[in-house]
Amino acid sequence: MKKFCLPLIAGAMALSFAACGGSGSAGSVELSGAGATFPLPFYNMSFEGYDAATGNKVSYGGIGSGGGVRNLKDEIVDFAGSDAFLTDEEMKDMKPVVHIPTCMGAVVLAYNLPDVVKLNLSGDVIADIYAGKITKWNDARLAELNPDVKLPAKDIIVAYRSDGSGTTFIFTDYLSKVSENWKNTYGAGKTVDFPVGQAAKGNPGVAGIIAQTPYSFGYIGSEYAFAQKIPYASVKNSRGELITPSTESISAAAGDIPQDTRCSITNADAEGAYPISCFTWLLIYQEQHYGDRSMEQAKATVDLMKYMLADSVQQKTATVNYAPLPKKAIELSLQNLKTVTYDGQPILK
Amino acid sequence: MNKVKFRIFKSRLLFIMVCVLSGITAIPLVAILGEVLIKGWNQLGWSFITEATPNAYKAMIAAQAGEDIPGGIANGIVGTFLMLFLAAVVAIPVGILCGICLSEYRKSWFATFVSYLTDLLQGTPSIIIGIITYIWVVVPMKGYSAIAGSVALFIMMLPLIIRSTEETMKVLPDTLKEAGLALGGSYWRVMLKVMVPAALGSIFTGILLAISRVVGETAPLMFTALGGAAISWNMTKPMSAVPLLIWEFFNDPNLQNLIWGASLFLLVFVLCLNLLAKQVAKKWKV
Amino acid sequence: MQDKIFKALLILSAVLIPVIGGGIILSLTVDASGAFKEFGFWEFVFSDDWITTAGKEKYGALPFITGTLLTTALALLMCIPFSLPVALFTGEYFKGRKIAAVLGTVIDLLAGIPSIIYGLWGFYVLRGTFMYLDLSPQGSGILTASFVLAIMIVPYAASLSAEFIKMVPAELKEGAYAMGATRAEVIRRVIFPMAGSGIFSAFILAIGRALGETMTVTMLIGNTNQMPETLRTTGNTMASIIANQFGEADGLKLSSLIAIGLLLFLITAIINIIGKILIRRARHV
Repeated sequence: MKKFCLPLIAGAMALSFAACGGSGSAGSVELSGAGATFPLPFYNMSFEGYDAATGNKVSYGGIGSGGGVRNLKDEIVDFAGSDAFLTDEEMKDMKPVVHIPTCMGAVVLAYNLPDVVKLNLSGDVIADIYAGKITKWNDARLAELNPDVKLPAKDIIVAYRSDGSGTTFIFTDYLSKVSENWKNTYGAGKTVDFPVGQAAKGNPGVAGIIAQTPYSFGYIGSEYAFAQKIPYASVKNSRGELITPSTESISAAAGDIPQDTRCSITNADAEGAYPISCFTWLLIYQEQHYGDRSMEQAKATVDLMKYMLADSVQQKTATVNYAPLPKKAIELSLQNLKTVTYDGQPILK
Repeated sequence: MNKVKFRIFKSRLLFIMVCVLSGITAIPLVAILGEVLIKGWNQLGWSFITEATPNAYKAMIAAQAGEDIPGGIANGIVGTFLMLFLAAVVAIPVGILCGICLSEYRKSWFATFVSYLTDLLQGTPSIIIGIITYIWVVVPMKGYSAIAGSVALFIMMLPLIIRSTEETMKVLPDTLKEAGLALGGSYWRVMLKVMVPAALGSIFTGILLAISRVVGETAPLMFTALGGAAISWNMTKPMSAVPLLIWEFFNDPNLQNLIWGASLFLLVFVLCLNLLAKQVAKKWKV
Repeated sequence: MQDKIFKALLILSAVLIPVIGGGIILSLTVDASGAFKEFGFWEFVFSDDWITTAGKEKYGALPFITGTLLTTALALLMCIPFSLPVALFTGEYFKGRKIAAVLGTVIDLLAGIPSIIYGLWGFYVLRGTFMYLDLSPQGSGILTASFVLAIMIVPYAASLSAEFIKMVPAELKEGAYAMGATRAEVIRRVIFPMAGSGIFSAFILAIGRALGETMTVTMLIGNTNQMPETLRTTGNTMASIIANQFGEADGLKLSSLIAIGLLLFLITAIINIIGKILIRRARHV
């Protein structure tokens, strides 16, 4: 027995020592971030490119916008990713935060209906499905929007996010704008008390439920629906046009952007605009000297933000099913980045 | 007469029902093994156990093109073994010592109390162990880490090792100890060189079972080790594990193809440990 | 001298257990106190609100306590008709024979399957079946989760029960046979009364397992925060709400989740202690 154990333990110990030796590669800076799962593929792609360009490694955990903001509060990450901008109240609780938009996306309404290839929806119908007022696929109001489609007499199986999510915020923000009842009863937030349906974790989780469950219906980030070829609905925008989500119709939704880029573009009043479009942001502290962060780390963080706004990165958004930022947003963000400091000194000269 | 026949009939009926219902109980095992084997078999391969999990971007590009998802679960395998190793290295000696103590002082109220507490700890839901490790390790260390994962696994393994040691030591004959002491051996020598080796088979079984129980645990690792896409050897950073990867794949349709291979790997590993423990128990029965 | 060090080490390692156990209770209580202070202990336990909207935050544990008790009770009901026959099969009818060993191994392996794999199987295989049979409109829910839980706890209840059934003295059974009793009568009139308390405690321990089961339930119960109205609807258990929301919670919500953790810990601890006391008694009859 002993004879068998000893070499095993010795071997394993050697292994773990070798492991310790291998981890500390010097020179480059390691940045870590966490948050929104929605732009995860885009961030993976861009951060790899950033590593190749600068040698700085960036790790990003897709734990949901809520988790990302919490990690930033706990000061255990260099930046957070969020699909929802911080509200004024949230900003009050934290040290000053700079919002850097990175790309545009949309929340689409995915469905699993055998034999149905095209579905039209309007804001109030979506709100009533999520409020539990419309429960059957062949409801009169759905049939009115879809005259050419034979809708089944089945229960709508509604899916939503179980974790705190920017996607949920964008979606419910939209519902609150189009439905008075929704606004008063449930409101908008990263987690909302949906009265019907079942929940799953993350955009992928909801997408998984929809892919696996006939007659299901749910909101997910556009990029998952595009990549997974999950069918998604066209939605009536504020001008009464039926719009299919696409890179173009998402870009069309960007309107006026305030200086700090914190704005909601759902239900945008613009021609050809998909009504549930959004920005997604990276959040960093304005004062970069916190915890035991070094100047190098602070510089690399700001550098990464700048990199994300570069044309070369923005042009690639479409390959992973997002839309590029409008010029105005990039300009404003570059201005905002100049306000980021280390010990009070601006990092970008 | 009829009554007797009826009684015999009833007895036969019970026998048949017992056999049928017992047989039904085996169905889930066959169903689960079959499902995982059929779907996972052709995924297993050299690259599957030597390459790390692709990130969401690569998985999306592959899914979009309708190709096989590249990569494997090497990051999880490395993480599982590292965390398990660290947990076991601490839990085994501590657990054996504690087991000896409980057996030696079995008449004292303290040992009885600790013994009950050990049972209680063993029955504690794994998610609670996850929360408590988050509070004790993740928060003070200001971040998720493999060490935190190891601590959670340690707390889960400890009671199993303690109980198996205690139970075995209790059934060893007292004469063994007395003989050792009479020959002039000091107390600690007799315990470690006579008693523990005599009980080693059963203790080893307990250790194997403890490992097989925690190796598939997901809940205590979610809030401690968190997971990570790259192969990592740094115990102070987040690290993945095979069950964590399965959970990740479950939640990401782009990665869904990898789910069954990873499950097959985990299942085979756990079941082999179980069978091995059974063999050991048979061979070295005290 | 060395003996003293050794004995000190023994005691030290044994002290670790109360330290961990006490530490768990202490840490959970401290971190849960925020929620209890805000809402009051009983109000927290008996409130069915789970409102996460900032500013209107209000948390109560009742939907999750209900979910946990409901799934556990259902799982127990569903597991009895299978674990008792298995226990009789291995502990009485085929005691000591090869086929009993085979079934015993099957049961042990069933106990060894990680819960996440039960969850996968339930999600990809059972869910479809449940929808097809119209047992549940969306496939996942209380019923689905309970069903898989039942499969998971059969091994625990069965192997422990078998142990007690085996312990029934042969003389007693032979006496009954000698008086002309059939096998079924021996089982009912001799074995069950003799092994009853042991079997009972085996089921109590199985309950303890079901209460805290996390991953399987999280994957199958549908994760909604309302009071479950029927068995067909979705819900959440204490363990699954923690698994779902702990990762991003902070402030009052985090405290509330930890409070739910504390309640879960206390419930399982009480159940387990009762089970263990009964088992220790049953073993020393």
